[in-house]
Amino acid sequence: MSEPTTSPEPAVPPETTVPPETTGPPETTAQPETTAQPETTAQPESTVPTGTAASPEAGDAQPESTRTGPGRVLVAIYALFALSASARAAVQIATKFSNAPVAYLLSAFAAVVYIIATVTLTNGSPTARRIAVVSCSIEFAGVLAVGTWSMADPASFPDATVWSGYGSGYGFVPLVLPVFGLLWLRYWARRSKRSRAQGPAAATRPPDQGRLPE
Amino acid sequence: MNGAVPTTIIVAGLLLAGYALLMTALDKRMGGVLLAGLGVLEILLLVLVGLVVAKLADGSRPGSPATLIGYLVAMPFVPVAAGFWGAVERSRWGPAVIAVAGLVAAVLMVRLHEIWPVIRV
Repeated sequence: MSEPTTSPEPAVPPETTVPPETTGPPETTAQPETTAQPETTAQPESTVPTGTAASPEAGDAQPESTRTGPGRVLVAIYALFALSASARAAVQIATKFSNAPVAYLLSAFAAVVYIIATVTLTNGSPTARRIAVVSCSIEFAGVLAVGTWSMADPASFPDATVWSGYGSGYGFVPLVLPVFGLLWLRYWARRSKRSRAQGPAAATRPPDQGRLPE
Repeated sequence: MNGAVPTTIIVAGLLLAGYALLMTALDKRMGGVLLAGLGVLEILLLVLVGLVVAKLADGSRPGSPATLIGYLVAMPFVPVAAGFWGAVERSRWGPAVIAVAGLVAAVLMVRLHEIWPVIRV
């Protein structure tokens, strides 16, 4: 945990400090939600994706970024797969590449896709979200294609890849993960479209609601 | 090497995941119990790493030593990374991250057994 003193908001308690790149740029001073301005009704409760608006304790704030809220779990799982697929591909290619070159190259490709998804979902800017949509789509297509290929032609896969058998070696998480990734990105695309329609102030950076006033 | 430690890790990981998912369902944020559970998991994983390293020092080798060493290096970071990533989240999704870590710890034990059957579960 880094020192919180560099944060521009003095009211932030130390445990809520986030990595430095997450502090929004100063020009996007979104309206605090306490000032109820009737023309910018930016917080309709219907946009909360999980229906947590009932509890004032924790979940009533909208996520600030693709990396917060449910995105925390997505990023954690993507990071796990990025790490394990990279390490696995590196070991396979370094020690026994000739055994199953197709499988190992596909492992390496999957690793790259997972790394891109992890980085772009963590970043969360509009450009990063566009890249993430592409990489999650490639990921989903890859799982389906490699899964089908590995079933139809097992001889090409003497050793498994992450995507063999539709990710059956990993509890089918590789099959489900891009679906959730794309759903999450669609939520963000709709939200930013809505914000643009309502005014430029909340276009890309929604109000910083994750930090609850004490 | 008897399977007491890996089995304990599986049980602890699943218990932690279950409790964390309950916290998510109840819309609770990260709390001391979850962090303490992560601490217990971390200690257990470090004990297991020590046991496996001792086994390697005895001279026996798994089929793929590089894979095993990768697991031994990465394993202790799972609770630490999850604790950090969950603690910066101020919503119900913080505990959900901890649940992932608990499940991963349990799955890692199965993987370790596949990599090196000497590590029983």
